[in-house]
Amino acid sequence: MSDKKYPAPSELRRFVHDGLEKAYDFDPLDPMVGLTAKELSGPVLERRTVLRLLAASGALTAAHLMPAIGVAPAAAASGGTLRCGWSGVGEFRTIDPAQINQVLLFQISSNVLSGLTHINPQLQAQGDLALDWEVNDAGTEYIFNLREGVTFHNGDPFTADDVVYTYQRSKDPDKSIHSRVIGNVTDVVRITDHKVKILLAKPQASMLVKTLERASGRAMTIVSRGAIESMGTSNYGLKTVGTGPFRITDHQLGQSMTLERFEDYYDPDRPKLDKIIIIPIIDPEPIAAAIEAGDIQLIGGNPIAAELTDRFEANPDLNVHIVPGPGFQGVFLNPWRDPMKVTDFDKPVEELKTEPGFMVRLAIAKALDRDLFIKQALFGRGIPAFGTINPAMGFYFDDGIGANSEQRFDLAEARKLLADAGFPGGEGFPTLKLLHTPSNRRQCLIIKNILKKNLGIDIELDTKDFPVLIDQFDTMNYDLCRLGSGGDYDPDDGVVDWMQIDSKFNGRNRDKAAMRFGFFSDKEVDALITEQSVTVDPDDRKALVQKVNKITSDKVAQAFLYHPPDVQVTRKEVNFPAESRIPGLVDMDRVTLSR
Amino acid sequence: MTGYILRRIFGAVIVMWAVATLVFFMLRILPGDPLAAMLFEADPSAAEELRIKFGLDQPMIVQYWKWFVLLLQGDMGNSIYGSRIPVSQILIEAAPRTISLAFLAFCVSIVIAIPAGLISALRRGRPIDHGVTFIAFLGLSMPDFWLGILLIILFAAKLGWLPAIGYEPLSAGFWPWFSHLILPATAAGTAFSAIIARMVRSSMLEVLKTDYVLVARAKGLSPWRVVMGHAFPNALIPVITVMGIAFGLLMASAVVVETVFAIKGLGRILIEGILNRDYPVVQGAILVVSFIFVFVNLLVDVLYVIIDPRIRVD
Repeated sequence: MSDKKYPAPSELRRFVHDGLEKAYDFDPLDPMVGLTAKELSGPVLERRTVLRLLAASGALTAAHLMPAIGVAPAAAASGGTLRCGWSGVGEFRTIDPAQINQVLLFQISSNVLSGLTHINPQLQAQGDLALDWEVNDAGTEYIFNLREGVTFHNGDPFTADDVVYTYQRSKDPDKSIHSRVIGNVTDVVRITDHKVKILLAKPQASMLVKTLERASGRAMTIVSRGAIESMGTSNYGLKTVGTGPFRITDHQLGQSMTLERFEDYYDPDRPKLDKIIIIPIIDPEPIAAAIEAGDIQLIGGNPIAAELTDRFEANPDLNVHIVPGPGFQGVFLNPWRDPMKVTDFDKPVEELKTEPGFMVRLAIAKALDRDLFIKQALFGRGIPAFGTINPAMGFYFDDGIGANSEQRFDLAEARKLLADAGFPGGEGFPTLKLLHTPSNRRQCLIIKNILKKNLGIDIELDTKDFPVLIDQFDTMNYDLCRLGSGGDYDPDDGVVDWMQIDSKFNGRNRDKAAMRFGFFSDKEVDALITEQSVTVDPDDRKALVQKVNKITSDKVAQAFLYHPPDVQVTRKEVNFPAESRIPGLVDMDRVTLSR
Repeated sequence: MTGYILRRIFGAVIVMWAVATLVFFMLRILPGDPLAAMLFEADPSAAEELRIKFGLDQPMIVQYWKWFVLLLQGDMGNSIYGSRIPVSQILIEAAPRTISLAFLAFCVSIVIAIPAGLISALRRGRPIDHGVTFIAFLGLSMPDFWLGILLIILFAAKLGWLPAIGYEPLSAGFWPWFSHLILPATAAGTAFSAIIARMVRSSMLEVLKTDYVLVARAKGLSPWRVVMGHAFPNALIPVITVMGIAFGLLMASAVVVETVFAIKGLGRILIEGILNRDYPVVQGAILVVSFIFVFVNLLVDVLYVIIDPRIRVD
């Protein structure tokens, strides 16, 4: 990716450590996290300010502190057409941010739409559609001065009315699936055509760098009222009109999407490319052949199949860049099914360990050799997981959990637990069904083999299409289920959505009379999760998050397996700035092609 | 003749209705909720809103009646999964890709099969006959997706002669259209060429034993005239039946090749619709595929009359 030498690991660790220390250096009781109203005001936030806001919101990751190693601009040239293959998807069902719930879709929308703010390659949260802004001392009122002369791709002028419209649309659950994201926003008021006020119920440090950010934010990604009304919601989703650097000029559903340079983009220096063609390619072998043949030059979308990474790295025509990815993957064990039955997790771990059902759960989790699994299933690329909090979360990730979690691999202990539960050597243990999708079949075969070898228990693979799997997962109709999460950048993504009794993924369609909770419930965990969501002090929040992570790990909320890596593959002629290398995003407004 | 065709058309409509009705109810019996899967990460109440909007909360028979009434008006409904655009729009975009692929695959299979079958029949028992038989079985045994991947690796990745994936319409030019389709067409058509070649061979062997061929030889006609003027046209009749079925099967089995070559055709739409439980899309695609199947077979029957005037249709 670059001719520059990447820093040595020890230098990198020191660099990141120093950056983290500075980022968290402020009075914990200060709702403004040590920043003044002036520092929070735009048009540009200093790097120090950005890092501090990210830290306070829990969104600071090691990736933000990595030194830039981009290609020297002199080697690059403007213009040209970039052909991209989007992996693991058959069609781009919508680019309307109000309906986007997949990372691979907001990878595209980030190139077509704008927000009030966007984090630039120098990690400065600069105004995107906002020219500058002021924040009151309480941090509950933001006044944005909007850029003038900005137009949507259809020629409509952008004004404060579009910000208000976007807010009104997003807070309506009938029109947007992200209404809860802006729950802290009490109102958005038009002051003039190019001035708007946003009112919050309470200070929110993540407001500028997350909620209003154009890519992952989505709730306040600015949409065109005129286009929605004239095109209808369905067609707007297919050829979304925004104010971004590229406009969608063609979209053949399931075949390709064409983006072209928007000539009236507010920054005359961007974008560099003339055209981008994005092709959804669902299977791994065709996408591999396509990039090797030069039919495509960049792979975006879902993570590529693990078995392809070695092949790409060996290809001298390709660049492969790997960073820790957001998310966790593992095996859920149904606590309402014998022999893993646990009907009450509200006990200390040592007490739970006296119950046969919990002994079985822990035995299975401890018998899963994660290093072996990663080697066989992921060809060595992945980080062993012991909780939902992943390395991409940076500051919040507990890199010691692998050594002190109850789930850590210990074969002797696992076998003893199983024997104490009444199944020595797996004798008499019933065959359990492992529910999974076809794409995870290979992983599940490896899990089956590991458990057979290590515990002597039999696992039967139960392959189901995703709609069926989700139905069974939501109704708690399974023994074991191979499932996980992706796109988790904030601790809330990993704990609020999964580990509370009322979490949206925690057996929401189960028979609540028969099953008090879904796959897990612990009152202390519920309370800790609620508390960490509103805790501004980063050290306190970190302590709460790591405590939640430890409890859910020790009590086997899931048999965690791995955190997936984020692998980016491009052809050598593609100059992709390293500063844009945020896990999960593919911003192409600065991409150039070498001639 | 006209009466025959009209009766066949009427029968075809009945067949299509029966298939569509069967598929309608079978889809809804399948486990899996389309909305829960689509809105897995959204607010749970969003799924219920959409269920009412699409009428999925109503009894199955009511859903069927509403769908049928709309169908009679030419409305196939809207896609449930994601885009919610009209099903007819999806199918209009996809059908030309599958028809192009199937047509080209059909041409590939004919170009290979007929000469191979003829040579094999005329050189029966000789090494060339055994060779053709061996290659035919090889073609029949090779999975089309595997052959497709091999072709991509060789012609696209290694040689760089042809594109690896995608589709270009004929309106973009003959070569872009052809170059994108020749590899998938070869992958799809190879197995069928084996079947047709064997059919040509056995049909020719039957015809070559007949009295009129003996007479033709006795009259002193050249071997070429005997084979192409007398034997082959008569041998074609059963082969045409197989060709008609093959074309229909090519349409249906194109899904694997479409997936390998990233072509969004009817096959892929059908499979993804089933996997996503996108009921309107599956119903619409099934209707289109069954229409093509029935139409091709009707065409085959009409061709019989043209080729062999002895066949009576009254």
